[in-house]
Amino acid sequence: MKYQEIFPVPCEWVQDIDESMVETVARWGEQEVVSGRLEHTEDYDKLLLPAIHKLFCDIGLQSMLWPEESGGGGLETAEVAMTVAVALEQVGTADTSIGFLFANTFAVQSTFAVEPHRNEELLAELAPVFCGDDVAVGSLVLPGYGGSNAAAREEFYGLPYQVSAERHGEGWALSGEAVRPQCSGKNAAVFAVAFDAGDGGPAVALLGEGAKRLSSGEPIKKTGLAASLNADLDLKGVEVGGGRVVLTGEDRFREMLSFYYMSCAATILGSLLAAYEILKEWGNTRVIKGKGQVFKENPLDAALMGRAASRIATSRVLTYTLARMLSRPDIYGPAGSQGMFNTATATFKQVAGAAMLSMNNAMEMMASAGYATEWNLERYWRDVKTIEGTVIPETAAWAMLARHYFGCRTL
Amino acid sequence: MPGIDDFTRPVEYLSPLDRSLGEIVRSWAEKEVLPYRREYDEDWEEHRLIEPAFDRLMGELGLQRVLFPEEVGGWGLGHSDYLGTGSYRMFEEIARADSAMAVAFGVVFWPLIMICNEPHVNMRLCEEFAPMFIETNKAVFTANAMTEPQGGADIENMDLLGGSTIETCAILEGDEWVINGHKLWPTNSAGVADLFGVVCTTSPGSTDPEEFAFIFVPADTEGVTQGKPYQKAGMAADKNSDIWFENVRVPSWYRACGPGDDFKYFKEIISLGSMGTIAFVSGAMMNIYEILREFCEEKTFRGRPLKENDDVAGVLADFVRDLEVIRVIGYQAARMMDRPDLYGDRWSEEMVAKTRAFKYFAADKAVENVGLVMNLMGAHGSDRVRDVEKHWRDLKIVQLWMGGKQLCQMEVARWFFDCETL
Ligand SMILES: Cc1cc2nc3c(=O)[nH]c(=O)nc-3n(C[C@H](O)[C@H](O)[C@H](O)COP(=O)(O)OP(=O)(O)OC[C@H]3O[C@@H](n4cnc5c(N)ncnc54)[C@H](O)[C@@H]3O)c2cc1C
Repeated sequence: MKYQEIFPVPCEWVQDIDESMVETVARWGEQEVVSGRLEHTEDYDKLLLPAIHKLFCDIGLQSMLWPEESGGGGLETAEVAMTVAVALEQVGTADTSIGFLFANTFAVQSTFAVEPHRNEELLAELAPVFCGDDVAVGSLVLPGYGGSNAAAREEFYGLPYQVSAERHGEGWALSGEAVRPQCSGKNAAVFAVAFDAGDGGPAVALLGEGAKRLSSGEPIKKTGLAASLNADLDLKGVEVGGGRVVLTGEDRFREMLSFYYMSCAATILGSLLAAYEILKEWGNTRVIKGKGQVFKENPLDAALMGRAASRIATSRVLTYTLARMLSRPDIYGPAGSQGMFNTATATFKQVAGAAMLSMNNAMEMMASAGYATEWNLERYWRDVKTIEGTVIPETAAWAMLARHYFGCRTL
Repeated sequence: MPGIDDFTRPVEYLSPLDRSLGEIVRSWAEKEVLPYRREYDEDWEEHRLIEPAFDRLMGELGLQRVLFPEEVGGWGLGHSDYLGTGSYRMFEEIARADSAMAVAFGVVFWPLIMICNEPHVNMRLCEEFAPMFIETNKAVFTANAMTEPQGGADIENMDLLGGSTIETCAILEGDEWVINGHKLWPTNSAGVADLFGVVCTTSPGSTDPEEFAFIFVPADTEGVTQGKPYQKAGMAADKNSDIWFENVRVPSWYRACGPGDDFKYFKEIISLGSMGTIAFVSGAMMNIYEILREFCEEKTFRGRPLKENDDVAGVLADFVRDLEVIRVIGYQAARMMDRPDLYGDRWSEEMVAKTRAFKYFAADKAVENVGLVMNLMGAHGSDRVRDVEKHWRDLKIVQLWMGGKQLCQMEVARWFFDCETL
């Protein structure tokens, strides 16, 4: 495996299918992203959309959980978590923002396409969307801070749901204003919208792009994640049938989030590896102190590089371990258990924090090259920062962890 | 209710112009910058929105004239004893709206320091260059061309390397300097500046301070070529590009202070640059404080406004704690620039080391705090509409430039611990 010799991972967990995934996606990254980046930087239409199409449709990431007869990849069990992790690491190395789209897509699909929750009816219904020739991004709509636009009083770990729900026959009518999805509000094929289902606790319903009374605003401008044309959504009593409610209950909701956090950690890991390569290339040739010293031979700078390497090595082991734990519920228990969810949260926070520290240090070291778009480091820095905040507000993450590990009652 | 004016500064240090400078810049920022700054990122190449705002501030309101002596139509800041505190106030107020604009504006002062500041006023050059800044209502910029492809840090590492890495070479031919070389990154390059201050050597590889030359070059001189602006993480209002000098000829008296003195006084550029950097940091952080006040009232967590959550309050408290400290040390640095009679020469190794220490403390704290604020704001942190993300991107550079953090560390250690090989 690429990088295996530099930052090893527990290789006995990585199967043949994962190995070939790594090769395919790494090749895609080189051919579809890296080679066009100099000319097109972050251009959505010229660079990113064609690359997303190739990855999601031609290579088939978006359909890997569908049966082969429907044109999918035939993966069904939770073992797919490891495949997703290795793929996302490669995607994140090439383009973090595309990785983030797939992290969302996989989290959405995990609610109905991964054993033991495979919903054949829904799989069949959504096969034309995800197994077709058009890019189909799934996007999560999660609880966030409340305020004038928060629809519901109910909260998940202190964060109100952005969408309120009223019973409508067997299903629900969902409403919310200026609802901010995690990604691709402008063009996701499916939104997985979290809401409070009363006694059942959290629930998630799938809404298609063309759902009636669902509209999106203009794409928002943001720090990074150019592949995500995100926009706020307005839901004016959007009706959703019971069959489209893909999960109810805290355990199931946590499970979806565990998969999501793992996927985001793997994506960030990819950026971290890309940043490592950039810093390495620069530090091998830059000379400082007159003609006196190759940059990497300066003990002060080398100490910072050492710290960055240490964070990458540990982040990689952590992320792969989490992927392994999620892929083997028979050994580690369900992905939605409180303990597993907290490990996923902690891993995501740890990897994102380590990545930001390392990238901040790398930018410091590379000085003007770190700040210049030409060297690409700044793009990874912006992308990871955007993911770090978007996935979960930090305060909520710390409160969740304290609640679990220290038994806090009022948080 | 406390606001941005309630952050502490040593009031007895303030310049007599403090209030009026502050008011002029604040009302300009409210009208000309704050309503438009969210569009600046897309304006990085053209400056269609940015240029008119600069015209108003620098040309019409006249702030590009402040450093020049009164005799040539300036405001005399360069020979006053409020050079530091007066500049600090302007830079901070501009940075509250847009730190890149503060940088572009601050850099106008940078090369001019060499000829406008006591005790090394070069009246001949002041007379020669002042009219271009004074007889116009348009913004006129300078650029300080120091960094070269092989590295910027080494050029600023003057005590260790003595200018020996400078490759831009100036040779005296008759009564003209002939300059050849290649500079990177000067703020206000890419066609913005009308006048460059160019760091040269008269003998490549030499560590003799006499060979270090700071020479003014009008941007339209034959042989000067500028590249296109670089694309970068932020700082849209600051254009940077390559500048090539090919057999560029300027009069011999365009050398700022002369052999030995150019080297000596160039260090004043470093200490004033460090002081300015702290002002950029505190100005931006003051604006983030304003944004946070609103955000943490409006958004709720656990059913309460964010600020009423103890854990959020902890983050907010740390942010304003650091802003308080940064502002106090910023004004202290400014005071040290104002009063060399009390603190020592602005170009001394001591002053360079101390202002570098303040600068890298402020920059590190800003980067750390603004990063935490973005995490606190969750998905709103990276949303352009909240403006914090722009400050986050812009502020990163103040940590990296002027030789980068590690050079700051080495210069600080060198002075305080007598290190000899750093
Ligand atoms: C937005 C922006 C505006 C700028 N404005 C200007 C301007 O107006 N004028 C101008 O001339 N330049 C300007 N610069 C350039 C800037 O000042 C340089 O980037 C900076 O001085 C560092 O130089 P460098 O990028 O060439 O990095 P290098 O000199 O190659 O240094 C790279 C790294 O080497 C390390 N290093 C250097 N010296 C030592 C040491 N002694 N010990 C240990 N480590 C060390 C540090 O980590 C440093 O960050 C600007 C840059 C940017 C991005």
